[in-house]
Amino acid sequence: MTSAVRIGKLNLGWKIVLVILPFVTALIALGIGRYFITPAGVLDAILGHFTGSYTVSDMAYKTVWNLRIPRILLALLVGAGLSTAGCAFQSLFANPLATPDTLGVASGASFGAALGILLGFDLFGMQTTSFLMGALAVALTWLGGSGKGRGLSSVVLSGIMMGSLFNALISLVKYLADAETQLPAITYWLMGGLNSAGYRSLLFGAPPIIFGIFILFCMRWRMNLLPLSEDESRSSGVNIYVLRAVTIICATVITASCVSMCGQVGWVGLLIPHMCRMKFGSNHISLIPASISFGATFMVLVDTAARTMTASEIPVSILTAIIGAPFFIILMRKSGGWQL
Amino acid sequence: MKLSVENGSFYYKKSVSVFENINFEVKEGEILAILGPNGAGKTTMLRCITGMLKWKTGKSLMDNEDIASMQPRKLWSKMAYVPQAKSVSSAYTALEMVLLGRSSHLNVFESPGQKDVDKALEVMRFLEIAHLADKKCSEVSGGELQMILIARALASEPKVLVLDEPESNLDFKNQLVVLNAMSNLAAHGMTCIFNTHYPAHALQRAQKSLILSKGGAYVFGDTVSVVTETNIRRAFGVDAIIGEIETPGNLLRNVVPINIVAEEKKEPLKHVDSDEQPDKTADRRCIAAMTIIANNNEMADKINGLLHEYNALLIGRMGMPYRECGLYIINVTLDGKENQILELSHKLGILPGISVKTTFAKGDFDGRGEKQLDESENHSKIE
Repeated sequence: MTSAVRIGKLNLGWKIVLVILPFVTALIALGIGRYFITPAGVLDAILGHFTGSYTVSDMAYKTVWNLRIPRILLALLVGAGLSTAGCAFQSLFANPLATPDTLGVASGASFGAALGILLGFDLFGMQTTSFLMGALAVALTWLGGSGKGRGLSSVVLSGIMMGSLFNALISLVKYLADAETQLPAITYWLMGGLNSAGYRSLLFGAPPIIFGIFILFCMRWRMNLLPLSEDESRSSGVNIYVLRAVTIICATVITASCVSMCGQVGWVGLLIPHMCRMKFGSNHISLIPASISFGATFMVLVDTAARTMTASEIPVSILTAIIGAPFFIILMRKSGGWQL
Repeated sequence: MKLSVENGSFYYKKSVSVFENINFEVKEGEILAILGPNGAGKTTMLRCITGMLKWKTGKSLMDNEDIASMQPRKLWSKMAYVPQAKSVSSAYTALEMVLLGRSSHLNVFESPGQKDVDKALEVMRFLEIAHLADKKCSEVSGGELQMILIARALASEPKVLVLDEPESNLDFKNQLVVLNAMSNLAAHGMTCIFNTHYPAHALQRAQKSLILSKGGAYVFGDTVSVVTETNIRRAFGVDAIIGEIETPGNLLRNVVPINIVAEEKKEPLKHVDSDEQPDKTADRRCIAAMTIIANNNEMADKINGLLHEYNALLIGRMGMPYRECGLYIINVTLDGKENQILELSHKLGILPGISVKTTFAKGDFDGRGEKQLDESENHSKIE
């Protein structure tokens, strides 16, 4: 064993796999759907955009560029984002049950989106209210739970409270919504789905996700200090409060942006980080890259299944749970459980 | 590096003070044991010393620099904290855990390089736990975990080591492993501060002791004069006997609790140099011969330093290296107060690799003859 691998760094083989896997999956997924295109055709259509000439049909070209690329980009971002955010929260709270929604961000963002639908905002307006409400929910959680002498568990409790508060507000919005048009829209949106994907929504939603993932990726070694007890992490000489704040901000920004684009996609943030912990251990040096890569891949796979399995689309959060839960249990039993 | 606390006071609630006006000092290479009953604030004391809790009044000083005004990064590259092993639950491998100790040497976006790995492995070899490097911290024994946490603290190359009950919850062997590691570090110049529930460990390891009691009273000083039956009774409310056990090399002190002091007979802890003199006999003049055998040359400076510190007692001194066996044998003759002779004997005895025994002359010497000054000191130093 080389010393780099001994301290948790990925070996070259895994590095290559982790980089290539999401792209290969995306390339194949781009061809799958009611209109099938071979991977070679997909590649041709993609390159054709830049060279100006392509051999596939116009239909295939348009399908790839107008319909599938934005959707698969969204799937990659949401998958990578949610699993990174989940991983960060699990380490921060030293709690294997933490998810991206632990601080109430997803409930807040869902409320924002429902409010947007109620008020008749367009997609962009809805996305904005959703993002802002998500951030507001976390800010309120932090104000309510943090304080001198209080541990992080009071922040978690405060997050649960804030989550249920915003869920109540969602119910209120539903109650007030027009039962013919708005209520189904809200209900369907809450189930989560990537069908609203478009370049315009990505333009606003992608930068926060990429920003959050990038920061967490860069400080991934330092994130190893997060699960330690307060005195231990303080005695490392690192300003642990700043580290926690940055982690929370990054994870919040990622999650709020994901929810604002595709509703509550559960499970990814819990499943993928734990699968990666079982395989790669708890060292964030390899855990964060693995979570990003497998999260993105998993989301593309699930979304492809969601849009192709039946004539009409199945909401993606239903599928993440149906595929994820049994797979997770098998993995857990095989690997003998998980640890942070 | 010297660590001292000046006029330290602390309370959680203003009406109930935990410490009041505490003063003490540990010199480079010395071990300070902090003793006290449950709830007296031993852990609070450690957190105040290290600046994790702010003193309400007073300050902690590291080589006369106020800790409160130091940048955390600078402070924690000189000081390291070893938590109790039970509070750790993470699936890092031992090596990953030890590497976390390098944090204060790396910036936010940096991950440890070869230099850091080498340092981590070096401290693990020093503590003889290199074989654990690739094991998960959640799968090692309590004693091994404690050693890993000490290694993590040492990886930051500190000058002051603060340990919170390092030998609690450990079996006999692991207690010795951990305590020996601490003694060795101190012998190499590390300043160590540790909390303990065992007065015997203070007697066997620490030059200085601090006994805390509920209500804020405290006693601080050289271990032999602080960890006494009287102070144990007052601080812990327990009648205890301090016995001496003779081994071939040393005279070990042990503390055996006998019974609980009845509520109405309890008395508060008082400072040693207050009005009352607990033990008159400790003040009497004694003549003694002390034999010191060191099994390596490393401790020579320490021994010379101590003999120099207690120069006033010395009336004769003879040093002899026995190079063939790697031994250094020193005989000194002492004339002075009994407690001072015992202090010197104790301080020598807790150094690793050193055997010390002291024989006292029979009889009463108070007021008999003038003390002979030692003139042979310069040429009897061991080199």
